[in-house]
Amino acid sequence: MTISLRFTLAAVVAGAAGLGLWTLVPAARAQQTQEERPTFRTDVNMVVLSFTVTDSKGKYITGLKHSDFRILEDGISQKMNTFAEGNKPPVQVMEDGSTRQLIVSGDGAASRQPTEGGDPRLDAFVGTNVFVLFDTSNYMYRGFVYASDAIADFIRGLDRADSVAVYTFSRNLSRAATLSRDRNSAIFGLRKAVAGDDAALYNALLLALRDAAKVSGRKVVIVFSNGPDNASMVAPDDVRQVAEDEGIPIYVISTSDVSKDPISSNVFKRISQRTGGQVYFAKTWQKQVEAFESIRESLGNSYTVTYYPQANPNDNFRKITVEIASDAAKKYRVRARPGYRPSRSF
Amino acid sequence: MLNRVVAALLSASWAWAQDVEALRNAARGGQPQALADLAAHLDRRNDPEARQAYGKLLGANPDANLRRSALRRLVTLDLMAGDNTAAAEHLRQYREAGGTGLPASMPQYAKPEPMPTIDIPGPIHSFSRMAALSPDLRPEDLLPALARNVVTNGYQASSGQEGKEQTEFLKLVFRYLGQARELDKFSGAEKKINIDQCDTPRTAELLKILGYRIRGACGGDITLETVNAGRAFLTIDSGFPLAEFEQSLRTSRPFVYDYKPTQVPVLYGPDYWLSVEKKDRGEFIDVFMSDDLLCRLYLGMAKIDHNTAMEMKKTISLQRLRAFAHVIDFFGGMYQIRDGKVPVPGGARSEAMWAELVGAPPSQGVQFIDKLFSKDDGWLNSYFDALSRIDGPVQTYLTEPERLKRFYTAIRGRVTSPGPARPVFRSNTDLMLLTTRLRLEPNGQPHIPGGIEVWRDLFVNHPHGKYDGKLTKGAAGWKNPDDVVEALFALSRKAVENEPLKIFMGLTDVNRKRKQPLTADTADRIARSWRLISSQIPVFTEVDLSDAAISQYLDNVESISAIKDQNPRADTAGSFQALVSLWQVLSRNSLIPAAQSEPALKEILDGFLKLRNHREVFDSSVKGVRALLKATGTPDNANPQERMIALIAGTSRPGDEEAHQQMVSEANRIFESQRLISLKTLLDLADHIEALGKGEKLNVALVNRLQQRMQEIQLPRASLTGAEKNALSFGYWTEKHIENQRKMSLRQTLERSGADPNKLGDARAMLAPILRDTLVGFSYAYYAPPGAQLLKTNPLFVRSHDFLGVQGTNQTWRQTEVLGTGWPSSAGGRLVGSLAGMAYALAEAEQNFLIPSREQALIWGDLVPQMILMAKTARWWSVTPEQMHFVGLHLRLGESTVADAMIDSRRRTEMITVLSRQASPGRAAKVQMLLEQGDLKSALENITAAELVLLGADWMAKHEDDDSVHGREIRRLRQFAPAAVNWAAISRVFGTPKPTLTSSFQPELLNLRTFPTLMGYSSRIMAESWESNLLYYAALADETYTNPARLNVLIPEWTAETVQRIFATHLEDWPALLRSMRNVGDDVRKKARNGASDKAEGK
Repeated sequence: MTISLRFTLAAVVAGAAGLGLWTLVPAARAQQTQEERPTFRTDVNMVVLSFTVTDSKGKYITGLKHSDFRILEDGISQKMNTFAEGNKPPVQVMEDGSTRQLIVSGDGAASRQPTEGGDPRLDAFVGTNVFVLFDTSNYMYRGFVYASDAIADFIRGLDRADSVAVYTFSRNLSRAATLSRDRNSAIFGLRKAVAGDDAALYNALLLALRDAAKVSGRKVVIVFSNGPDNASMVAPDDVRQVAEDEGIPIYVISTSDVSKDPISSNVFKRISQRTGGQVYFAKTWQKQVEAFESIRESLGNSYTVTYYPQANPNDNFRKITVEIASDAAKKYRVRARPGYRPSRSF
Repeated sequence: MLNRVVAALLSASWAWAQDVEALRNAARGGQPQALADLAAHLDRRNDPEARQAYGKLLGANPDANLRRSALRRLVTLDLMAGDNTAAAEHLRQYREAGGTGLPASMPQYAKPEPMPTIDIPGPIHSFSRMAALSPDLRPEDLLPALARNVVTNGYQASSGQEGKEQTEFLKLVFRYLGQARELDKFSGAEKKINIDQCDTPRTAELLKILGYRIRGACGGDITLETVNAGRAFLTIDSGFPLAEFEQSLRTSRPFVYDYKPTQVPVLYGPDYWLSVEKKDRGEFIDVFMSDDLLCRLYLGMAKIDHNTAMEMKKTISLQRLRAFAHVIDFFGGMYQIRDGKVPVPGGARSEAMWAELVGAPPSQGVQFIDKLFSKDDGWLNSYFDALSRIDGPVQTYLTEPERLKRFYTAIRGRVTSPGPARPVFRSNTDLMLLTTRLRLEPNGQPHIPGGIEVWRDLFVNHPHGKYDGKLTKGAAGWKNPDDVVEALFALSRKAVENEPLKIFMGLTDVNRKRKQPLTADTADRIARSWRLISSQIPVFTEVDLSDAAISQYLDNVESISAIKDQNPRADTAGSFQALVSLWQVLSRNSLIPAAQSEPALKEILDGFLKLRNHREVFDSSVKGVRALLKATGTPDNANPQERMIALIAGTSRPGDEEAHQQMVSEANRIFESQRLISLKTLLDLADHIEALGKGEKLNVALVNRLQQRMQEIQLPRASLTGAEKNALSFGYWTEKHIENQRKMSLRQTLERSGADPNKLGDARAMLAPILRDTLVGFSYAYYAPPGAQLLKTNPLFVRSHDFLGVQGTNQTWRQTEVLGTGWPSSAGGRLVGSLAGMAYALAEAEQNFLIPSREQALIWGDLVPQMILMAKTARWWSVTPEQMHFVGLHLRLGESTVADAMIDSRRRTEMITVLSRQASPGRAAKVQMLLEQGDLKSALENITAAELVLLGADWMAKHEDDDSVHGREIRRLRQFAPAAVNWAAISRVFGTPKPTLTSSFQPELLNLRTFPTLMGYSSRIMAESWESNLLYYAALADETYTNPARLNVLIPEWTAETVQRIFATHLEDWPALLRSMRNVGDDVRKKARNGASDKAEGK
């Protein structure tokens, strides 16, 4: 099957959202003058860590508190800066272990695209920034429309606090709908996707991660593809490393059988597991809907903490461990990214 | 990205920008001369305020001369602004004021003849999406573009049967038309799809056509889901507003969608193209797309100039034209009938011979063309086409009647089939290259590099066997250059690789800029070792090297190739090529003074001549680095790493520190991303190891610095096992190269060495592969495309450069290739081969990271890498404001020339004659027709930026005393800075590299006609013949008062923006590139001017 002339749809090029400086301001003092406000700067050094806790049957465990967790980097205990459960607003973790509610104000308003329908200042740490990456290459020709339906359903079902972007790819990436809370705009973008030709999945995933990395707060990338890649220049593991370092979980919904393309299946498993995401092999439309439901559930039931890493001489890969401090909770399983490499400045 | 660009523009404190403010202030007094100065200044910078400024001048009661000049200029500016009424009034006043040189009144413009149309159901954007057509196409260009897509992508060989079958692409277009017709019917007489309510049979009917159904009850919970995948695919793929429809249903609001059919112009009307029999087979569009030969003829006829095509149509039957559609499609573009006669290459002198060859005299017009396209399956026509595309002495030489016949006979051969128009791309590539690149000596004879003897010997005693039995036999008797050229023509018709022609062109390219041509010995040696060193020719064209240096280079190549062990060979070749690549870069940017260039190369060559082991490779590499640093005037105490990075950025004395720092940071970022070892660390280690031999104590900190960095290197994580990889021989040696570095323990080796010179030598040897990567890394960093995603993401990309290639292929000296694309089990793509074509390969690998700004049917392929290459091969630190202004003035003068040609038939004739040297007869005639119709905007859209500059240059050449604002300023600039402001200097700074066409990375302007796509090269040669980008960007920078040094940052950014906005239909769709470039220019201008006015208002 050849649709060799066709390429993907791209909407307006997203404005560059910088690694802006965001200030977290205690709500109680929100009315105070700027000079009086205690500010907590987040920059490229701040680590955003999302994880889920499940029991032995895979059921999500919710309602845990920040004090139930211990975060370690290379065995060094870290001091939590903020803690959030699901899509609830984050709380600031104080020196004495107490918490207080935060609102987010941004001098980064210009450096981050404001989401429609919401106060941009609240965006950064409330809800999840979901980047959907939709494979529109020839490989998806048969399942193109069903995939489009399933993604549309997923977008509609996202929590109100979440923002969503829809990117499509074949040989090139297209930003079909830029990050927004406006579900209609995401679906409009999705429904205008054009079927393309070659598949450069890992190139596109890299570019989606680069965009996601520019956005503050919690973010995930969801890849919807059937696997084969015949045009990428980057290796899956290099892309995975970018996701790891940026703290962006990758969820993959493969429309292929796990056994049909073992190489792609293994790659999907590896990149999702190592980034704290998950892979679903969902050949039928029903399975795809279920996979999206599972991702939604995972997003809604995850915990997000932020912290500034303690002094650590290791400039290479730093192993992250999330321990459940409470004895009662030790039977639970934590799924988080295994670590990251600190960014370097020039 | 553009925001950054604008910020950069605004921050550039370009002195002339301040001049404007001074002029504005002066003009506030209302003095005529001050107003005139301001108007002229704005005019020279293409500022839209110029018209207003001239208007103010007229209102200030200027003297007669000032008044006349202002009125004269206003006529042109009015025309360019599309305000013909104002132009007419200003023209009247100009004439009243005694102005001359323009007609007394505006002409009566011809009304465009309406073309007959057909209806295609549904909106054009949907059809365009399905048929892969750019929505920017003008209506009359739509069917030719569709025809091209049908010809190139609509049919494929049928499996198991003779004939062709439709591709999936074309099947989908037909299926779409079926659905569109159903929707057309559904839309009723008003041609509107109206849905008022959710739960009605009408809604159900529409959904059925679209392939969807409703899930959930009417209201907010409604969802549309696929029920018929085939139809749903067409709905989405054609861009039907499904989401809007769904939203209407959810919100119980009416859905209205205009479904008027699209009227598409058809050349000569649909009846001409359809025989009676075919008319019964359905609508025009279906019959048209079902007949690829008809499409090909339509495409061919659309390229021919209108009057000529009309003559052909009148005289030759459709059936006959259709039978030769392939020839007409490829070679018809150069047909023209003027006053009933066909102008032939060579003019009157050659007419009789053309008559003899073709079988009809050119004076018979259509009959000549008929005979031409029907002769010998297209060989004669391809020759006619190739000769028509050139002019000057080479055309005169080739069209000398006897020679014309002789060379044609050589091309034609005895068996004519298959002809050059049979494949999808023209297969007469070699013929076109030969006629374009042949050089003549002052005596009018062709330049035969090395002399005839070399060629005779090559054909008779070829080291790899005979090229052609007959030619070999005849070669012994060759006496003059014509004999060699004839042989080259004869080989041009062969489908196999034409090695002699490539050697001929390569050697000609080497000689082109040399003071003394290559000696026979050197030429002979290059010719004989062609298969090994053909890709290395650009090294010899970079600077004027002596024969001795070239020979020594060849010695080095042979010596390195003779190293048996793979790893040392790869490291030696890699280090050597990286040093040579850096030498090229530094010489190209004049960072190595011309006089020092060959000595610096010689030092590198000396070091690498006879290497026996890694220790010597390291020592020679260090020596080479020091030679380069010395040649660039590096102080002894300079940090070599920082110095090399600064040089890579392009200069040691930047005209804009911020721009330079930006480039230095980018190079550092790439270096860091690749985890490369600093040159300083390596040179310090080299010195330290030497000192250890003299008893110095081990510097543990220094050694650890390297060791720690090496620990950051990780092996590529591929899914294949080592055994599998070995079996495939893919990437084996590069992984070994990386693995060896990871395993290395320098400290341990040094600790065990003590002061033993042999053991210390082994330690130095360990550094050789590391130094190779560092040097290769500098070269990669220099050419890094905008964004450089690969270099910033794959930390092993530089280290993975494979200088050996898959086992058995020996790619060490061959052209660089991209390998490993799209193989998830691999460690990502990598570059393989020599560094000769690394810049292009790197751009090729990076191009798919650019993100199209709209839905696209693109022309990435070969065009985009070449565009990136243009932006990265040279640096623009030495460009002067005068040079930018010179280009800008010529471009604007060119535009003015076209504008004036709209009202002055004499000027129009002159202008079209000049344009015809660059544009095909069809395009030149189209521009003429548009001007006659008063459509200046469309006329300018059909002229490239390079052509406008040439029109300006031609005007100045013919009107040295031109008194326009542009002419006066051009003369002033020439006098002010004669060394910088001349076409040779402009060619060096704003020309483009043409590694395929001229075997050189040295930028230059050749002012060639834009090539078509060619067999074996696709659109690469077309891309290399495209010279508009840099000229346009230079003019743009001039308009926006940009500091020339910022071109180093802006040109790559503008290039990336231009690429992202290209919305083309096919490989030859250069108007799409032109549109995209102008689109970027408009944005830059707008934002720069808005920014400037905000700044002026203190916002």
